[in-house]
Amino acid sequence: MSGFAPSGDPIIPDYGEVSDCVTNNDFFCTDWFVQQWPSVFWPALLDHILMTVIAIVVGFAIAFTAALVAHRRKWLTAPFSMVTTFLYTLPPLALFQLLVPITGLSLLTVEIALVAFTLVLLFRGVLSGLLAVPDDVKRAARGMGLSSQQVLWRVEMPLAMPSIISGLRIATVLTVSIATIAAFVVDAGLGAPILKAISSPFNTQFIGAGALAVLLAFLLDGILALTGRALTPWTKASR
Amino acid sequence: MTDAKNTSTIVFDRATKIYPGSDAPALDGLSIEVRAGELVCLVGPSGGGKTTALQLVNRLVDLTSGDIRIGDRSITDIPAIELRRTIGYAIQQSGLFPHMTVIDNIGIVPSVLGWEKTRVRDRAHELLELVGLTPVPEWADRYPSQLSGGQQQRVGIARALAADPPVMLMDEPFGALDPITRTTVQDEFLHVQRTVGKTTLFVTHDIDEAIKMGDRIAILKPGGLLAQFDTPEKLLTEPADDFVAEFLGQERGLKRLSLYTLSDLDDLASADATTGRAPWPALPADTTVRNALSLAAAHGAEGVRVLGEDGSPIAAAPLSRLVHLQSEESV
Repeated sequence: MSGFAPSGDPIIPDYGEVSDCVTNNDFFCTDWFVQQWPSVFWPALLDHILMTVIAIVVGFAIAFTAALVAHRRKWLTAPFSMVTTFLYTLPPLALFQLLVPITGLSLLTVEIALVAFTLVLLFRGVLSGLLAVPDDVKRAARGMGLSSQQVLWRVEMPLAMPSIISGLRIATVLTVSIATIAAFVVDAGLGAPILKAISSPFNTQFIGAGALAVLLAFLLDGILALTGRALTPWTKASR
Repeated sequence: MTDAKNTSTIVFDRATKIYPGSDAPALDGLSIEVRAGELVCLVGPSGGGKTTALQLVNRLVDLTSGDIRIGDRSITDIPAIELRRTIGYAIQQSGLFPHMTVIDNIGIVPSVLGWEKTRVRDRAHELLELVGLTPVPEWADRYPSQLSGGQQQRVGIARALAADPPVMLMDEPFGALDPITRTTVQDEFLHVQRTVGKTTLFVTHDIDEAIKMGDRIAILKPGGLLAQFDTPEKLLTEPADDFVAEFLGQERGLKRLSLYTLSDLDDLASADATTGRAPWPALPADTTVRNALSLAAAHGAEGVRVLGEDGSPIAAAPLSRLVHLQSEESV
C-alpha cells in the first residue's frame, strides 16, 4: 500500500501504531483482531480444536465400551451411571486443582478432566440408544438366526445411531466450552486469551476468543449433525 | 423329493415349558405332528402357550422337558443359530428392520449365510414378485416406514422365505392389520403357500383366521394343554369338549359353511327350479356357502342360483342344500 502512495507524501510505517478503537478499548476492534490472528487467535483455535477432539475421541472410546458392557451385563448399568454422573457433577476448577499435584500443569491434566466430563453424556447416549431398539425387531433378528454379534452390529447399533449422535453433539459443545477453563492449567486454547484479558481488561481479546469458541461449538455441532443425517438415511425417509 | 419332504416334518413330543419363577407350565406336554407341507394353526386364548410353542421350535425359548424334532433330528442337537437359519420366521408388526431398505430386509438371512450380492438381490426381487409388491423397482429401495401395514407384512413374509427354508414359523403375522387388509394378505399368503408348500406353524388368536388358513388346527387352553387337534371341518362338527365348543362359538355351524363354496355342492337342481315368491339371488360359484346363506336370507329367498363361467345361472341350491351340504341321495 505504502509503495503506491503519491510521491512527496512521507511514508509512515504503522509498526506499533494503534487505532483509536484500541486506544479507547472499544467493544471490538477488527483491525487489532486481524492483526493478532496469526500469532494469537489461530494457534489458540487450533489448540482448542485439538483438546476438544482428543477429549471426545478418548471419552467416546471409554463410554462406548462401558455402554456395550452394561448392555450385556445389565447390573453394571447402575454403578457405571453413578461413577460417570459423579464425575460430571465435579466443578471443573476443583478437578483441575485435584489433578495438578498428580499430573502437573500439563495437557494430560486437561484431557483427564475433559474426558471425565464427557463420559456421562456419551455413556447415556450409547446405552439409551441400544435400549430403545424395539423388542420385536431384536426378536425377529435372533429368530432369523443372526448371532448376537450380528444382532449388535447390524441391527442394534445402526438403530442406536440417532441417540449416539445426539450424545456426541451435546458432549462436544460442552467440551468446547469447558476447554476454555483449561487455560488455568496450560497456556493453550481459546481460554488463554480470555484469561489474560481478564487480568488486563481488553475487550477485543476476550470477545474475539469467546466468539471463536462459540463459533467452534456451532461448527462442530453442525458437522456432527450432518454426519448423523448421512448415517441414518431412514430417519428422514417419508412416504 | 420324498426325503426333502420328510426332513421338514415337525414333531412335538410331550413338549413342556415352565418359565423360571412360575409354578404352572406355559405349555404342558404338547404332542402333535405337523406333516411336511402342511399348515397347522395354533389357536387359543392368551395364556394358552401358543407363542411359547412356536418359539420352542426355533429355540428362542428352551424346552423344560420333552422334545421337538424337525425331520429326524432333535432341535436340541442343532446349534441354535444354524437351526434358526433353516426356519423362516415372521412375526406381528412384521419386525422389519427400520434402518434397512425393503430389499436389504429381505436379503438379511441370505447375506449372513454368505450369498453373493447379486444372488441376494435377484432372490429379493423374485420374492417381491411372489408377494405381489410389483413393479419391484418401485418398492425395492423404500424403508419400512414408507410402507403401509399390509405391505410391511408382505415384506415380512418375503423375508421369512428368503433363504428358502423348509419350515416356516408365523406368530400372529396379520394380527395388527385392519380387517380388509388382513383378508387380502391372508389370501395372498395362501396363494404363496400353495406355490411354495412350506411346513408351517401359524399362531393366531383369531379362530376365523385359523379356520381359513389351517389344514389342521390345534386348540390350546389355559395352562398350555392341548384341547383338540383336528381339521377345521372335524373341529366344527365334532368339538371334543365344552371348551372347544365355546371357543368356536355359537356361530360354529356358519363357520363350517364358510369352508365350502357353491362349487363344492354337487347334484344341484337346474337353474329354473326355484320356489317361493322372492327371486333367488344369482351368485358366482366361488361364493362360500355361508355367504350364500346370508344373501338368501337378505333377499328373503328360499335358495340361491349358481352362476356359470359365462355369467348365466346354471344351477339352483335351495336352503336345505346350503344347510346340509350333501344331496338327498348321498345322505
